[in-house]
Amino acid sequence: MSTTAVQPERILKDLQQLWAQMAVDQADAGGVLRACAMTLVVVAENAADAEHVRQTVGVLMHNHPSRAVILRPSGDGGSGAELDARIFAECWKPFGKTQQICSEGIEVTAGRSGFAEVAKFLVPLRVADLPVVLWCRGTHVFASGAEPGPLQPLFPLADKIIFDSSEVVDADSALQFLRRLRGRGRRVADLHWTRLTGWREVLAHLFDDRALQPSEVTGAQVTFGGSSVTTCAHYFAAWIRTALPAVRVSIGSGDGPRGLHSVKLFTAADSLTITLGSDHCVEVSGCGRHYRSMLPSSSEEALMQEELGILGPDPVYERVLTA
Amino acid sequence: MTEVRNPFADPLRFERRVPECAIVIFGAAGDLAKRKLLPALYRLAYDRRLPASFAIVGNSRTPMSDEDYRSRMLEAVKQFSEDGAFDEELWKRFAANLHYVAGDVKDPQLYVALREKLNTIGQANVLFYLSTQPSYYEVIVDGIGHSHLSAAPEGAWRRLIVEKPFGHDLGSAKELNSRIHAVFREEDTYRIDHYLGKETVQNILALRFGNGIFEPLWNRRYINHVQITAAESIGVEGRGGYYQEAGALRDMIQNHLLQVMATVAMEPSAVFEPNAVRDERAKLLRSIKIMRPDEVDQYAVAGQYKGFRQEPGVNPDAQTDTYAAGTFFVDNWRWAGVPFFIRSGKKLPKRVTDIAIQFNQAPLALFGNAPGSGDGEQKARPNLLILRIQPEEGISLLFLSKEPGSGMRLRPVSMDFNYGTSFGERSPSAYETLLVDAMVGDPTLYTRQDMVEASWTVIQPILENWNNRRFDFPNYESGTWGPAEADAMIAKLGRTWRNS
Repeated sequence: MSTTAVQPERILKDLQQLWAQMAVDQADAGGVLRACAMTLVVVAENAADAEHVRQTVGVLMHNHPSRAVILRPSGDGGSGAELDARIFAECWKPFGKTQQICSEGIEVTAGRSGFAEVAKFLVPLRVADLPVVLWCRGTHVFASGAEPGPLQPLFPLADKIIFDSSEVVDADSALQFLRRLRGRGRRVADLHWTRLTGWREVLAHLFDDRALQPSEVTGAQVTFGGSSVTTCAHYFAAWIRTALPAVRVSIGSGDGPRGLHSVKLFTAADSLTITLGSDHCVEVSGCGRHYRSMLPSSSEEALMQEELGILGPDPVYERVLTA
Repeated sequence: MTEVRNPFADPLRFERRVPECAIVIFGAAGDLAKRKLLPALYRLAYDRRLPASFAIVGNSRTPMSDEDYRSRMLEAVKQFSEDGAFDEELWKRFAANLHYVAGDVKDPQLYVALREKLNTIGQANVLFYLSTQPSYYEVIVDGIGHSHLSAAPEGAWRRLIVEKPFGHDLGSAKELNSRIHAVFREEDTYRIDHYLGKETVQNILALRFGNGIFEPLWNRRYINHVQITAAESIGVEGRGGYYQEAGALRDMIQNHLLQVMATVAMEPSAVFEPNAVRDERAKLLRSIKIMRPDEVDQYAVAGQYKGFRQEPGVNPDAQTDTYAAGTFFVDNWRWAGVPFFIRSGKKLPKRVTDIAIQFNQAPLALFGNAPGSGDGEQKARPNLLILRIQPEEGISLLFLSKEPGSGMRLRPVSMDFNYGTSFGERSPSAYETLLVDAMVGDPTLYTRQDMVEASWTVIQPILENWNNRRFDFPNYESGTWGPAEADAMIAKLGRTWRNS
């Protein structure tokens, strides 16, 4: 890794030199292959978060080789250079191969001049003709409400913008924020929706298996834990409403930690409940079924892998968001 | 029955789900089951693609308990699993649903025992997998039929997967199809050609029909010829007995390589649905010009490597083709006059399967006489699009580029797409893909009766010619690219093999 002066052209030149040097260094060990399928821009919350992001991005690159640009707010309130950058390479060796596959990264430290400067700075650093994904970490981005927030200048650069509303206290305004962006033509994603994939799959399979017929469902209840309703409860309820428009769906609170606790579907004669159980499982009971199903990993890496796999339209989420 | 669409479906995010079912594998102690089927099924379980109650019932003649069979398959899974992915706890759960029924496929009692086992397991949906010697296929299908194992309860299904070869000539293929259809409907019959399950073969469709730049060039005006090569560096490796009855033409060209050719040359289907895609493949196979008997010597070459007759189990006088090459033409407007050269052989210099699409040369050699151009590499070179199926799956485009420096020296360069690097995630094996397809009822990548019969029709004149003559075998050395006659065959049409 090297620190570099902060003109984009210089960074690109440094990257070229880095690759040339790695090719020489690794020539006898099978060589290196530079891989890139997108530009992934990550806005870290702070310096500590940037370290965490670096590790996460290292994992993501195996499945989604990219040029990663990690934007790290400077911790000193902006003294010294407004923008600083350093480059790095992330390499791995696929099972049974001698050649290393490498992706490149740029860590940018931004000072008080804010992200308007950063946006201009990023334009030449995007890999031409490949998708740009912007991952905005933390909840501060939702705090701007209807006002253009500090990250606003970055949004037009991205083909997809990923947020995470899991820690948001005011779910309604977070959803409003996402809807506004969507309304302006931005393709948005929310990792708190992604966390529901396992739950949704369990519910969908009940209809695949004909444990329930869509026409039999008369009502649904989504229960969440914590003191305030979460975006995931809203999402799940909206998902049921978009799938079964005639069904009345209510959202209720229950005891326990934040997040989705249970989903109950009512028929005229019976009901079926999916409840969060222990060991990262959900329990399905009712309508003649009783079993446990393991949920997929909800680690940040796993959620991001799923989102990076969808770079085009996501019609189900878009319907749910705007429902 | 009208299929009700699941309003909760989210195909972008949900994995295609294997329904509750059991798979009955005939020939369960054999090589295919050990090397491919069990590792593929275990991998699907590892990736959480199988329902918890998914059951496997293995059958072979060898007496074994369930536990013995599990131990054997554990070894196989550990030895043959890709990426070495193995989880002890998962194996315990997987193995609990692994059962074994010993018995001779000719014995009606076997089917009674299988019925009892399936009743105990309690799965209504059953997939039968014929992984035995082909000579048993008809007996097994009859056995399934007579014992009514093929009759599914209301709302359930019974399907049959048949491994190649589907017959040994056109007549036997028709006979096999008719025996199968006496028990299973065509839509419940899945003839597996594992080449079609390979990601890179599927990617041919994506390349051709998902991109705008290739299809306009994909015709006789721009394509000079196509070479399809499936070369193996090894010999018959203990399969001499089987192989001497099959040969390269039957073992590779009739099925895998003609299917690949059909994928390369077919017209786009109106929709990406199983029968629409298979209709186009079948149409292409039916459009391949059938050789007249007097054309066979001109357009087909048989070879046998030195040492084949000394392999264990091989007749010292065997006339088996361990190498076969053919020139095929497609009688349609898109491809009229464009030769498709197909070859496959054992003991060739390296293991490679690829498709090379050679484009016509630029109409004018503009740089051919440029000052300082020199010769050699400077000669006009046609563009080549190479679809690499194995190893190093990917796509390369060869084109000419100017060498740095003064003068206009051109040099061929390669623009490469490599599957492993652009998509870091592991590609499922062909058997994983195809097994899931059969269980979810998607036959897109399976071969239909008319396709099998069309490809046998293409091969039949060559088979008849070769069956009625004695070759002066062996005619090529191990480690070479096959007999000289194959070079002569392609040279007659003004082309050369791409031996790189």
